[in-house]
Amino acid sequence: MDHMLLQAVFIPLLLSPVAYVVGRRHGMAAVTWFSLAVLAYCTALVALAALDGGAEERHAWTGMFGEFGLALDGLASPFAIMIYALSAILAVYSRPYMEHKFAEQYREAHGEGGSAVALAEYVRAKSGTYHALYLVFAMGMLGTVLATNLIQFYVFFEVMLIPGFFLIAFWGDGPRRKIALMFFFWTHVGAVVLLLGFLAVGLSAGTFDFAGIAAAAIDPDIVLVAAVAIAIGLGVKLAAFMFHIWLPWVHGAAPTPISALLSPVMIGIGAYGMFRLIMELLPAAFSELSVWFHVWGLVTMIYGGAMALMQDDLKRLLAYSSISQMGYLLFGLGSQSVLGLAGAEMMYVTHALGKGILFMMAGVIIVRVGTRSISRLGGLAGRMPITATCAVIGALTIAGVPPTSGFMGEWLLFYGALETAVEEGSTLRYVTFGLGLVATALTMSYMLWMIKRVFFGKMPEGLAGTREAGWHMLAPMMALAGFTVVLGIYPDIFLGQIVPYMSGIAGAGELGPGTAAALAGAGAAAAPGGGA
Amino acid sequence: MAEHEGLLAAAAWLVWIVPFAAALTMPALKRWQGRVPGWAAIAGAAASALLAASLLPGALAGGEVHAQTSWIAAVGLEAGVLADPLAVIMSNVVAWISLLIVIYATGYMRGDPHIVRFWFWIMFFVGSMQLIVLSDNLLQMFFGWEGVGLASYALIGFWYRDKKKDHVGTEGRTVLGMLDYYAPTHAGMKAFIMTKIGDVMMLAGMFLIFAYAGTFGFRELVGDTAWAEAMGAQGLLVPALVLLFGGAIGKSAQFPLNEWLLEAMTGPTAVSALIHAATMVKAGVFLVARLGPIAFALGASGLLADQFFEVVAWVGAITALLLASQGMVNPEIKKVLAYSTGSQIGYMMMAFGVAGLSEQFVDGYTAGFYHLISHAMFKASLFMAAGSLLHVVGSRFMTDMGGLRRHMRKTYAFVWAAGLALMGAPFITTGFWSKDAIFASVFESGSEWAMPIFAIAVVTAVITAFYTTRMIGMVFFGPKSEHVRKLESEGHGIHEAPLSMWVPYGVLAAVTIAIGVMGLAFEESLHHLFGGYLEESFGIHSPHGEGEHPALPAPLSGLNPVALGASLAAFGVGIGLGYAFYVGRWIDPARFVASNPVFRGMHAVLLSRWYINAAIYWCFVVSPLWLARGVFRYFERTAIDAGMNTGLERAVGWAARVVQGAQTGITQSYLYVFGAGLLLVALMLLM
Repeated sequence: MDHMLLQAVFIPLLLSPVAYVVGRRHGMAAVTWFSLAVLAYCTALVALAALDGGAEERHAWTGMFGEFGLALDGLASPFAIMIYALSAILAVYSRPYMEHKFAEQYREAHGEGGSAVALAEYVRAKSGTYHALYLVFAMGMLGTVLATNLIQFYVFFEVMLIPGFFLIAFWGDGPRRKIALMFFFWTHVGAVVLLLGFLAVGLSAGTFDFAGIAAAAIDPDIVLVAAVAIAIGLGVKLAAFMFHIWLPWVHGAAPTPISALLSPVMIGIGAYGMFRLIMELLPAAFSELSVWFHVWGLVTMIYGGAMALMQDDLKRLLAYSSISQMGYLLFGLGSQSVLGLAGAEMMYVTHALGKGILFMMAGVIIVRVGTRSISRLGGLAGRMPITATCAVIGALTIAGVPPTSGFMGEWLLFYGALETAVEEGSTLRYVTFGLGLVATALTMSYMLWMIKRVFFGKMPEGLAGTREAGWHMLAPMMALAGFTVVLGIYPDIFLGQIVPYMSGIAGAGELGPGTAAALAGAGAAAAPGGGA
Repeated sequence: MAEHEGLLAAAAWLVWIVPFAAALTMPALKRWQGRVPGWAAIAGAAASALLAASLLPGALAGGEVHAQTSWIAAVGLEAGVLADPLAVIMSNVVAWISLLIVIYATGYMRGDPHIVRFWFWIMFFVGSMQLIVLSDNLLQMFFGWEGVGLASYALIGFWYRDKKKDHVGTEGRTVLGMLDYYAPTHAGMKAFIMTKIGDVMMLAGMFLIFAYAGTFGFRELVGDTAWAEAMGAQGLLVPALVLLFGGAIGKSAQFPLNEWLLEAMTGPTAVSALIHAATMVKAGVFLVARLGPIAFALGASGLLADQFFEVVAWVGAITALLLASQGMVNPEIKKVLAYSTGSQIGYMMMAFGVAGLSEQFVDGYTAGFYHLISHAMFKASLFMAAGSLLHVVGSRFMTDMGGLRRHMRKTYAFVWAAGLALMGAPFITTGFWSKDAIFASVFESGSEWAMPIFAIAVVTAVITAFYTTRMIGMVFFGPKSEHVRKLESEGHGIHEAPLSMWVPYGVLAAVTIAIGVMGLAFEESLHHLFGGYLEESFGIHSPHGEGEHPALPAPLSGLNPVALGASLAAFGVGIGLGYAFYVGRWIDPARFVASNPVFRGMHAVLLSRWYINAAIYWCFVVSPLWLARGVFRYFERTAIDAGMNTGLERAVGWAARVVQGAQTGITQSYLYVFGAGLLLVALMLLM
């Protein structure tokens, strides 16, 4: 099929006005199926292209910036697949959650007295807007990871910000407009720093195309400064320690399906950027900075975990947990070894699955119980067994317990970190490896404690009548929970693409004896079925 | 022949796959509730046990089945099963004891509304354990390893509503300000997180070895020892092995990660039996049995891992004594048994550790494994019997029992049989022979630590005999407790447990005695088997055959006279003291303890768990939470939130007001400023 990637990126954008009309005319149910169909089709396109061993499309663009290209390689495809798969699944989940939210806002605006007909009209009007924005949001994320040009990357990077801003400003919780502005402001500040880095690189290289930059010889000082600027810009998106200011507020306040997209999928694009822009394009700067990424990741990991312990608001807890998980990604990025980098990317996938489930769980509780304060919850496992089971699987995924996919990310990540420590004989890396591994116990602690306080123990009065969520909410959770287990047992689905890419990267450093032996064995086995 | 091997390999795979498959069918059986899930569980466990048994003939002949299949092709890792004699014997112990426990649980859990969840996790538990046993590499083993952790988390916290009756500990009692009273969900979490600390160490050890060897496979690690030489050169070999042993410390509840095991008693008793006899805690011992020969065989290439074995031996010895001592004072029957388990596992570790320090590796190795087998039988029996007692009396406290021997004659007899095995009653119980073998191997090891460890082993044996007699005395002898009398007055007479419950522990008690009667022959054949196995697979020779001790009469000539004497004496002293206090009741224990401050102090220390549990809570729960709260309040809230978010907002607002102030709207003042500006520019240009 021609232009698969172009279709995948632009169909949601082009059909976004249609979604608006469908929503207004035919209501929430119709527009939900519409969005699902659009996104499922696009997911299939991306997945097919990935199965095909990747794809690359180039189109003429303004001569000033270079070509408009879309490339799906071993690095981009796990990101791309997770972005669209999760967006598609969450489109279904959005229906009951957003109906609940619209009704709540309607009551706020019109009091309890409003008629059922008026309410239905209100929901219909809003559902169109919601899905129109939703589609643009998804497409912005995909465009970013497929971009092959710095300017193009930047444009998509900002495109996802705009619908994100409106989604929060319209349907968030608490002081939603203020928080939406905070979201916009901080990520925009990050993006501006990022742009400065881009300009420094692009103008010195004389081209903004990735391929051209990789080939160009740029002054090492400029490279380093640019790499730091890019790292800071992406660090804000990633919510790494000290730049995480916005994240707990935003993920706490965003409407839950959006939190479930923002938290695992969107902020992880920061990590994608680091892989693509720093590791691949600026390898010299990368090997200089990698140990700092390592330490930064470790601090983020522990800090996010420790703050998660202190939260009473379910969604804020998950938000801090996301910060901590992004620390894992940074940590793996800093490991600078093939398996460590592969593990870091696997962590993105697994975090998307695990955190997706957990945010959906939070949404179920918001809808069914009407509170998100953990201290007012308890003992819900008996009332909502399927949600509880999915939530436990999600928590185990985050905690990295086999057979969930979390373990597959984690062991590669930490093994890679150790391998570099052994290679370099670096005490600092040995220490960060040890502390990082111990920090997984912290992750497990806050996760299990959260599960215990929400689902186990004594049930507070008034919760006895709680009902299990409907199928629109359960099916998405169950799909992700099933997939995390499948991936945990058979990780080659993604590793088959990731590992060959990582071992072909110059910035990944020398192969350790363990990896070398392993990959030598893999060479024969992976060649026919590896897909890359 | 090849076809035959293929069948055996298939059986080795299915041994662990069948229980998982049985677990996955459980949710589908939900609609039938009632007895159907229980039958399915029995069928799954029985199928797995028969499959394990089918591997037995080949393994007893010294054969081994090793089959591999592609797994994570991207990094060149394969999955595989390794059914060598060690794995097959272990697998059979796990399978058959699990089967009996499953049968028991159909009676014990009858009528529980969450029975499907129960069976799911039980079968998951058994499957995970078999996965550990039959894996041919560390990474795959780790799946089972975490699987048992997960299953224990789910089963210890099975009664997740945290009702009062499901707690353990004495309500209101505190140690160093920490409440010594735990809810099931808390206990499950504690078990999972505490063992996770061990798992983290194990992962680090695994990764270190993989970084040098490029393989996780047990067979591959033996084949080529270049990895060990490279690690040894950098001084990383012993640390890596000790880190791997860290996993065993966590999973087998060895000091200092022992405290989770006591709270694990919040689970249904069938689960406790499973954890203590077949799955979970035995995993750590098995890991050491797997790694021990690999480490020892490196000695042939001049790489001594003595420090590793010293750590194993000492951790075992310390745990044996530490936990046995606490078993003497605890009032809860299941906790006494739990302390006993930790302590007995300590014996096994001690044996494996000492084995590595002696010339005669096979002696200690056999002794440790023999003790694993006999402990699995008698402890499963004791736990199931304790479950019956709990079931009938409705209280976990031994002080709520008393005088039950006339009402529960069968249970009474079986507890004696299994209890005698735990105490090491001479010549007729498995426990005696296996413990004696440990004593002998420690005594004969020739290690510099042999004497202190031997002394600890003997003292622990005295304590073991004492606490076991105490338990039997408190439960079955003496006057009936108030609680029992109240039950009887309400018409709930004390009665024997139902058939499906007493048969399993009766069988195990009988087997304990049956094997015990021919214990020496059993030990010799095990010794022979392992001797051949270690020689064949690891190249570990035993310098000389079975030691002959002419001082003893012919049937006992294989025994070491000092070890035998110590063993007999320890049993005699322990049971004698226990009898005097709790069966004959010639001395009142409460008055005895109160008689002087030293005893009072010791009693308090023991009852407070040597303050280790409380110290762990202070250091690893209270302090980190306090620290996190401080950082949250004074950094996240102030520097980050107030500083960067609100601060920025304020700064912008302030700047706006300043700029706004200049916009007066008065033309004259604008012109003044404009003129001043011009003047300034002119001056700058002129200079």
